[in-house]
Amino acid sequence: MSEFLKKIKIYFELSKVAPISRRYFVMNGFDGAMIILGIVIGAYLAGTSNPIWIITTGLGASVAMGLSGFYGAYATEEAERIRTLNNLEKSMLKKLDKSIIGRAGKFATVWVALIDGLSPFFIAIISLIPFIFSILGFIPVVHAIYFSMGITLFILFLLGIFLGKISKKNIIISGIKMLLVGLILTLISFVFKLVA
Amino acid sequence: MLHYDNTHVDKMIRRLVLDVLKPHNPDKIELSKKLSGLKGVDGVNIITIEIDKDVENVKIIMEGPDIHFNTIKKIIEDFGGAIHSIDGVAAGKKLIEDVRTPQDVSTTFLR
Repeated sequence: MSEFLKKIKIYFELSKVAPISRRYFVMNGFDGAMIILGIVIGAYLAGTSNPIWIITTGLGASVAMGLSGFYGAYATEEAERIRTLNNLEKSMLKKLDKSIIGRAGKFATVWVALIDGLSPFFIAIISLIPFIFSILGFIPVVHAIYFSMGITLFILFLLGIFLGKISKKNIIISGIKMLLVGLILTLISFVFKLVA
Repeated sequence: MLHYDNTHVDKMIRRLVLDVLKPHNPDKIELSKKLSGLKGVDGVNIITIEIDKDVENVKIIMEGPDIHFNTIKKIIEDFGGAIHSIDGVAAGKKLIEDVRTPQDVSTTFLR
């Protein structure tokens, strides 16, 4: 196991994949949170009282985001990695796809694709948990909507904190900035409702 | 292959000097760690000869009681490198150093 972990560590260092995956994690996690927030607020404003409807829509959207994230990141990252490897092969005058450099590139492609696909998917699933409680009859659907909105806004705040930690700036301000974007979405949705 | 009567010495490589072209990454530190961790290798010295944009030309010197060339070659190739030439080999029971001969002295003098 330690041999395997050592190998993974070398691949991480060689492919310099950590900052890329951090970027993808926040970017797509943010997307996932915002989409679920939009769906939940939309359902609330439309006056739906069916939690199954919200869960089904939310799951559909999260699977779509997960798949699009996975394949989108896989294809773009693979293209970039092949290009970099080709340039290095030209300098070395030999094929490098079977060397540790080629293997690290392949690992980085799959890793980035997984991060990009799973981050919006899991964030969406977490935001939808209150509706499962609502289906089971523990809480009314309106409460589930409030809880879900709260969880999603909290996730946005956490993503902001994560970014603040990376940039070593004030984490609370960074978190509030992200939270504000979620609140703006909420506000716009309510304005739409008023206009309609 | 020729067979001689007095070849009962250990067929061990004790010192190896290689001219290698390798990408910058994995770096010399990683390569030296990997090579020096091998069985039969006591020490490794990697020196940069020339640096290019993506690749570097290095001299790898290895000493040890039993250096396995094929293993070394495999590792260097796995690290993306290529052995350009074998610049020096010392093998046998004892490590033999280079000796200066009168011819060398006279050549130096002429220079």
